[in-house]
Amino acid sequence: MNFSEHFNKGHILAKVDARVKLLVALALLLMVLSYKGIFFPLLMSAGALMLCIKMRIPLKAILARMAQPLFLALVILLLKLFFSGKDTMFVIKLPTSHFPLLTLAGHSDGLLEGIRITSRILGGVSIVMALGFATPFIEFVAALSWLRVPRPFIEIMMLAYRYLFVFLEDASTIYSAQKNRLGYAGIRKGLNSFGVLTGSLVLRGFEQSQKTADAMIQRGYTGDMPQLKSQPLSVAELAAAVIVVLAGGAVWMI
Amino acid sequence: MKIQNSKFKIQNFLPVTRYSSLVTVLLVTCYLSLVTDAAAMHISEGILPMNWAAVWFAVAVPFVWYGMKRLGELSKIDLSFKPLAGLMAAIVFVISLMPIPVPTAGTCSHPGGTAIPAILLGPSITVLITGVALLVQALFFAHGGLSTWGADVVSMGVTGAFAGIAVFKVLRKMRAGLALSAFFAGLVSDWAIYFTTSVELASGIMGDEPFLPLFTKILIAFVPTQLPLGIVEGAMTAGMVKLIFKRRSDLLVKFGVIKAEEAAL
Repeated sequence: MNFSEHFNKGHILAKVDARVKLLVALALLLMVLSYKGIFFPLLMSAGALMLCIKMRIPLKAILARMAQPLFLALVILLLKLFFSGKDTMFVIKLPTSHFPLLTLAGHSDGLLEGIRITSRILGGVSIVMALGFATPFIEFVAALSWLRVPRPFIEIMMLAYRYLFVFLEDASTIYSAQKNRLGYAGIRKGLNSFGVLTGSLVLRGFEQSQKTADAMIQRGYTGDMPQLKSQPLSVAELAAAVIVVLAGGAVWMI
Repeated sequence: MKIQNSKFKIQNFLPVTRYSSLVTVLLVTCYLSLVTDAAAMHISEGILPMNWAAVWFAVAVPFVWYGMKRLGELSKIDLSFKPLAGLMAAIVFVISLMPIPVPTAGTCSHPGGTAIPAILLGPSITVLITGVALLVQALFFAHGGLSTWGADVVSMGVTGAFAGIAVFKVLRKMRAGLALSAFFAGLVSDWAIYFTTSVELASGIMGDEPFLPLFTKILIAFVPTQLPLGIVEGAMTAGMVKLIFKRRSDLLVKFGVIKAEEAAL
């Protein structure tokens, strides 16, 4: 597993500079967030999803990424429907209409507000998802560095990325070993096993950090890691980015 | 297609009230089947309008900046501190992706994992490593978002870390055991994240409605996952501290969690 496992090198977007992709995504995201209706966010969502399909991202991967935001969107939609607004559409008596313990009223204005927030979530998540699928992690970090994100932040990000997969592997091995020995049979046993798992990971983290620091010092590390150097931006890519953002802006203003 | 006002009424053609029992069963089933991935209550992309996203970003940035400043100071004293912070960020990332069973909801959820680095490395470094983990999760896992990064850093990094370490320190001052203090640090840290996220959500989506009723409803909506999840996080933090104490108590001394005399016992 890695962050760029679905990255399609053959797609045209893969060849575009990560800085340009990041700037366009941020500009479109700002437009989605500041739009008062549902048309623009839904349009952006449809466009970004089509882009993901064009990049041959498996549907399962798209749905997996959308699952959590969609769950939150549904909770917000229900909250707005039943607890916001004044224009009552229907009334539900719970648990039955004969023995009502709780009466819920659905409001049309609350529903519309909920739909508006849901569309914003769909638009925002789709844009960032497309950016994530179209940009390898290292290029994204280089783009952040070019955007003057502070150096310690970038360094921690690079170090975390280097060891993330090692720890995921470790966690998976420890978890399988615990499970095979009935470490998760019962709540009490499960909680204890989970504590041991996290403790073991932290201990491995300490040991590995010491080894990493030693190896870095041997290679001349004095407290700062070398910075990633950026190439000048391509004028053609910048022009294309400006056209995309202006087109988005024109639709936003309608 | 901007929404101004609603005119349609579906009560005329949807006799919902006749099917209240059915609706109850459907609502409960849907709710329990959907409460599958609370993901330690990350606020997803797009939930907050731009003004609120900017407010939380402005609140988060000074804490992250202070975390970076502190990291620089500690790295000057000990060159291995930066690699350690990087590896702890990876561990926080892994822990917050682990599925753990939530008995009351009958499903799985994910812990926040910020109490552990707060106890070991301190709250300001924890804010920084949480910020790093959240940015990566937002882009590559759709947990949280770029626009909600500030809000997520405030709830998970700032509130989670500071609440956890405050409880841990107070209990240790009261001579509570290491495991018990760690348990309550994890528990309070998780519930503090839950509380702050509810504040952020309510303020972001309230529109013209009053804040308090909506905030209360959001708190109630996440009770089935977040209350047991806090207990699980507490147990996880206690288990972690216990294991380190048994195997490498020198590390707890090094980071000032316990005194050297305590490690010798």
